[in-house]
Amino acid sequence: MRKLRFLYRTILKFDAPVRGHSFAIRCIPPTNQVQQVNIEERYVTPADCINEVTDGFGNLRYVGRINDYHTGFEYGVRGTAVVQSMQVQKEPLHGMYKYPSAFTGFAPSIRAFYESLTVPEGDALSRAVFLMHALYETMQYESGSTSIYTTAGEAFEKRKGVCQDYAHILIALCKMAGIPARYVVGMMIGEGYTHAWVEIYTGEGWYGLDPTNNLHIDDYYIKIAHGRDYADCIVDRGIFNGFTNQEQEIIVSVEEIS
Amino acid sequence: MGIISVEKADHLFWLGRYTERVFTTLRKFFHVYDNMIDTQEIERLYGEYCERLSIPNIYTADTFVQKYLFDEENPDSMRANMERAYDNAVVLRDELTSNALAYIQLSLDVLKSAEGKGAPIFKLQPVIDYLFAFWGCIDDYVENEECRNILKAGKYLERLDLYLRLEYHTKDIEKEFCKLEKRLVKSGLPVNTKKLNRLKAIIAKEEEWSSCYFEALSCLGGILEVM
Amino acid sequence: MNELMEHTQEINNLLSRYGVKFGIYKNNTFHEQLFPFDAVPRVITHEEYVKLEKGLIQRVDALNLFLKDIYTDKKIIKDGIVPEDFVFLSSGYLPQCEGIVPPKGIFSHISGIDLVQAKDKSWYILEDNLRVPSGASYPLIARELCRRASPKTFRNNKIVDNRNYHKLLRSTMENVNCGGISVIMTPGRYNAAYFEHSYLAERSGCVLAMCNDLFVEKNRLYYRDYKGDKQQVGAIYRRISDEYLDPLTFYSQSLIGVPGIMDAYRAGNVAIINAPGNGVADDKGIYYFVPKMIKYYLGEEPILRNAPTYLPFYEEDRKYVLEHLDKLVIKDVAEAGGYGVVFGSDLSKEQLEDMKKLVEKESRRFIAQEVIDFLDLKIMDEDGALVPRKADLRAFVLSGEATKVWPSGLTRFSRNPDSFVVNSSQGGGFKDTWVLSQ
Repeated sequence: MRKLRFLYRTILKFDAPVRGHSFAIRCIPPTNQVQQVNIEERYVTPADCINEVTDGFGNLRYVGRINDYHTGFEYGVRGTAVVQSMQVQKEPLHGMYKYPSAFTGFAPSIRAFYESLTVPEGDALSRAVFLMHALYETMQYESGSTSIYTTAGEAFEKRKGVCQDYAHILIALCKMAGIPARYVVGMMIGEGYTHAWVEIYTGEGWYGLDPTNNLHIDDYYIKIAHGRDYADCIVDRGIFNGFTNQEQEIIVSVEEIS
Repeated sequence: MGIISVEKADHLFWLGRYTERVFTTLRKFFHVYDNMIDTQEIERLYGEYCERLSIPNIYTADTFVQKYLFDEENPDSMRANMERAYDNAVVLRDELTSNALAYIQLSLDVLKSAEGKGAPIFKLQPVIDYLFAFWGCIDDYVENEECRNILKAGKYLERLDLYLRLEYHTKDIEKEFCKLEKRLVKSGLPVNTKKLNRLKAIIAKEEEWSSCYFEALSCLGGILEVM
Repeated sequence: MNELMEHTQEINNLLSRYGVKFGIYKNNTFHEQLFPFDAVPRVITHEEYVKLEKGLIQRVDALNLFLKDIYTDKKIIKDGIVPEDFVFLSSGYLPQCEGIVPPKGIFSHISGIDLVQAKDKSWYILEDNLRVPSGASYPLIARELCRRASPKTFRNNKIVDNRNYHKLLRSTMENVNCGGISVIMTPGRYNAAYFEHSYLAERSGCVLAMCNDLFVEKNRLYYRDYKGDKQQVGAIYRRISDEYLDPLTFYSQSLIGVPGIMDAYRAGNVAIINAPGNGVADDKGIYYFVPKMIKYYLGEEPILRNAPTYLPFYEEDRKYVLEHLDKLVIKDVAEAGGYGVVFGSDLSKEQLEDMKKLVEKESRRFIAQEVIDFLDLKIMDEDGALVPRKADLRAFVLSGEATKVWPSGLTRFSRNPDSFVVNSSQGGGFKDTWVLSQ
């Protein structure tokens, strides 16, 4: 068990004013069976109205609107989390996590890779860990090699990618092996960005694996949201009126406090 | 029905303008067409007409009639203006009623089918009739007063613009100005009062107002604030 | 009836006058097309209708219960009636709708059920349309004109008046209205069914709204007027598909949606007609299971039959399909509007082999059906002669306080004598549908 202090902040700047700006933000870590979250501060500015809602996957969202012209938009959350990971979060399984999704389709290249492996017999977790190792050995981490629109198949053909791609491919591999899996977005100690990883369904509940680092999710991770793939867990979605370029700065920090 | 959005208000206003543009210029055109019979200076005649309407003179003596009336590609043609009226009307069925909308459809159908058929004045007479019927329907079927007011504000604004350009009698201009002012106030559209008053003053001066011709047109053009 | 047929051209002229059209895109440009009307009506006897009505109500009630179950408890999956593959692999299943029970538990308020009649006069369900089924406006306006053309015909035949569709629609919307005005939302005049959107708005007295007129604030949907005032919307009959509905929840590039509407809906502040996510129940794969749903949810025997259908997903069915492919019609479950429908009898030997391979490889993607021996309807051709053509019937079932069938429907026919495909987007025409009152 560890106690972490976290901070997440996004600053958006527009070079021309925009208005009629609707937004939906997922950046609030929830309290669940492995993390006890205490929020110290959270804000969205400017905003004419904000509502807290839960989406179909069970994630917290802040939705709202800014009617008048503005040239900047900023939101953030700060707090502490007491984390006790490396355990199964008991929960009934939703069937949708068994089947391929838009980003985690069973591409022929991934299928061929899966068939080339001799997955040892064992429980879901040990087989998933085996797949994670195999993937980690095959893939090369390279930032900028893929985009947010890259699917598991496209990334795997290049054998290159970032955490989003590692997660998508591992999800596809697990599902091929009959292990339900889902995509998680969150924060990790030491990283200046949000991070993505995988939760697999053990038969009783969910358990986290980080394919990018070939690690079990331990007490240095804070989860924000989950879904079938990246598209279900986008941190920030917005739509506004106006023609503008935008500049985005994201600050993420997680540190241990004793 | 009942509540009019910004977009609908815009369509109503422009429907009023385009139908009126077709209606009044078509009637004026009937005169030009007739005058062209007796003159050797056909080019000068339609040249002046174009200049008054501020539309580019892209015509020749041989092509003027067909191109001005029916050319789909010519944005200033009668047909193109009727198409614009239709574009605005077709998104307003629920406000205008199907009965009124049908007359816009019929007018457009006439303009589409009369091209190159000869005797254009005969062929286009139904457009005048249908537009009269359209305005009759508006008064009879459109229950929402705001809706009628916006539509008529567009209509009278366009009419005043054309009457100024086409040198209608001062009495007519004064009359149309009164109608416009009344509708603008009732419509709740955002009016630029300064320009409205200036226009009123120009028109009231009567005998020498034509020296302020361009100023009058520009006041009229800016009489509404952007919604 | 001859009197009616004599005026076919005039009726079509009036349809044109009133702008009764549908839009299609050809080579990326928009065209408006008239929908040709044939004056020879489809006649449904009173006796037939009584049975159809019962069967349709039963079917739509079961489909509504299925939708509620799928987005909440999923009992039908747990009890092994419907394999979950057919639910979670369906593109119509939207996890974003998980846990939402719409006002009064109604998901499909306006259902368009497509039927065909076989030569032996029995009716078969061809498909269910629970998303945004269109077409009611055409027979609605055509009846008005037919009555003008030949009052005698309508005096001498006991035909149920169908000119109440807009009232049915309105009361269906008011039944679930969460407080506020009722609007019909259209993506705009370049939508195929724009005529219908505008006509139904006119007749029902609902506000016809474009996406820019609507916005969400504090989980409530509002309509904004030109003076800057806003009015809450309690029910929205949206004529755009799910993926464009809310750019903050679904397809994020959508410019025709309303940002945040899904949150207003989830909060119970607005009824969306029909509910998002309904596609999971009108999928061609799920179709196979509808008779089982009726038994499961209602404990009743299905009154109306499906066309005999095989799911290659099941081994036994796959075997049958592969052996009889040349006699069957194959449908791609992902396609709609008459596309993705292949008749085995039209395929060459090689094409048949290719199709077999495809069916084996992607068994979940296809369904196969026996070709029904359609009862042809008579239409009047250009020379005034009566000739037989294939036709179907889209029945409209409205689920309001009670489930009601509109005593009419859209009868579409194929103008091509060799074609089975009756969709308007593929050049078909339509007829009035008479339901006799005795």
